[in-house]
Amino acid sequence: MADIRDDFIISIRYALLKKGAKQKFSLFFLILLSISIITLDKFSPPFMTSVRAILNDFVYHVSVVSSQPAVLKNYLTQKTQKHYSVLSENKFLKKEIEFLKKQKFNNAYLASENEILKKALQITDKKEFAQTFSTSAKVILDQKSPFLKSILINKGTKSNILKGMTVFSKDYLMGTIIETNYLSSRVLLLSDLNSKLPIIIEGTDINAILEGTGKKQNLSLKYLPENYQLEPNKIIFTSGKDGFLASGSPVAQTYLGKKNKVLIKLLGDPDQALIVKVTNGQAGQ
Amino acid sequence: MLSFLEIKKNLFTSLPILSLYFFSFYHFQIPEVGKIGIFSFNFQMILIYFFVLKSPSSLGFGNIFLAGIINDTVMGTPLGATSLSYLALSLFTSYIRNATIRPVLTAEWFTFIPALFFSNLVYLVIINNFSNLSFYYLELLQSTFFTFLFFPIFHYMFSQYKRFILKE
Repeated sequence: MADIRDDFIISIRYALLKKGAKQKFSLFFLILLSISIITLDKFSPPFMTSVRAILNDFVYHVSVVSSQPAVLKNYLTQKTQKHYSVLSENKFLKKEIEFLKKQKFNNAYLASENEILKKALQITDKKEFAQTFSTSAKVILDQKSPFLKSILINKGTKSNILKGMTVFSKDYLMGTIIETNYLSSRVLLLSDLNSKLPIIIEGTDINAILEGTGKKQNLSLKYLPENYQLEPNKIIFTSGKDGFLASGSPVAQTYLGKKNKVLIKLLGDPDQALIVKVTNGQAGQ
Repeated sequence: MLSFLEIKKNLFTSLPILSLYFFSFYHFQIPEVGKIGIFSFNFQMILIYFFVLKSPSSLGFGNIFLAGIINDTVMGTPLGATSLSYLALSLFTSYIRNATIRPVLTAEWFTFIPALFFSNLVYLVIINNFSNLSFYYLELLQSTFFTFLFFPIFHYMFSQYKRFILKE
């Protein structure tokens, strides 16, 4: 028994300390170094923030280069698929244009009626969440991480981007800035587990929290009233209860999934986002 | 001045290190296969396990450490977490190498289970204690399972590489 224990200890010591002919560092030294880095990263002393920002900028840009073959492959696949879907889409759009032309006249009438009623009730449009900052940024990396659903954009503190700013893609809310470097920033997507957003459901006064689940086609709503049944084809808007985002920005939509289960999907597709708008409030309107 | 043949030889012998760095910069998953993410696996772990076990001189611990740091930066996880996880895997693998008398594929394949377990345990402990990140446990489990499952395929490929390129 004692021999077995001795063998085990000798093997572990050998594995930890022996460097080998071509090894410059022992495992023991590198494990200690890793632990030190983790501790420094956790407590973030002032120098660590700038070190991490420089490292992030360098690694992100190299990462962008290394992911170019995959980007090119995806681009070619998408272009080919798009080419074949254009014809059917064209037919569908022609029908939709006809329908929208009719709707336009109806909307004009409703808008003028709304104005008249507002004047009668003495209601004015309040701009509580006036947007004071807005910039466009390019998505440089869309990593399929099993731990964090995020994208990287090519603007950082150099372009006055701050942590907590909101990111929109085609006027749909997409996420929040969670990390800023000098030349790049990381956006936490709404589909991430850590993302939580106060919302309101179309046609109701139901407030809830939209939570990510890691999947863009299946988000979840928390704090719904008891026995409330979610209906398909309802738009989900921001409620503005966080006091930061303006109310009424469309975020997600309910739809009928498999087995007739009502699921929630994001309106903006993070995988398709190429240029995004970073603001300190709402989407440009 | 290096000749073309020498450059080519160096390039081929450095393939494990180059692929380790490449897949750290470009996080490797294969969700493109039928658009199903379940087949994603951790290539770096297979690479580290195989080369630390079979040819430790091809893959330095320093490179493994640095690849982990790069992976953390790209993934947005606490700096050093993946490094420590990879080093834990290397430590376990080094122990297996020292304790093994007659290497066979099945034994190496099944010792990969505790090695993966040990490495992922270290990773989970760091993520849970040193960050506020929520964890996709199911995806990690799936990824670990497929990493284990695909090991023999890569074992064969790496063995061929070792035989014909490294001439070991």
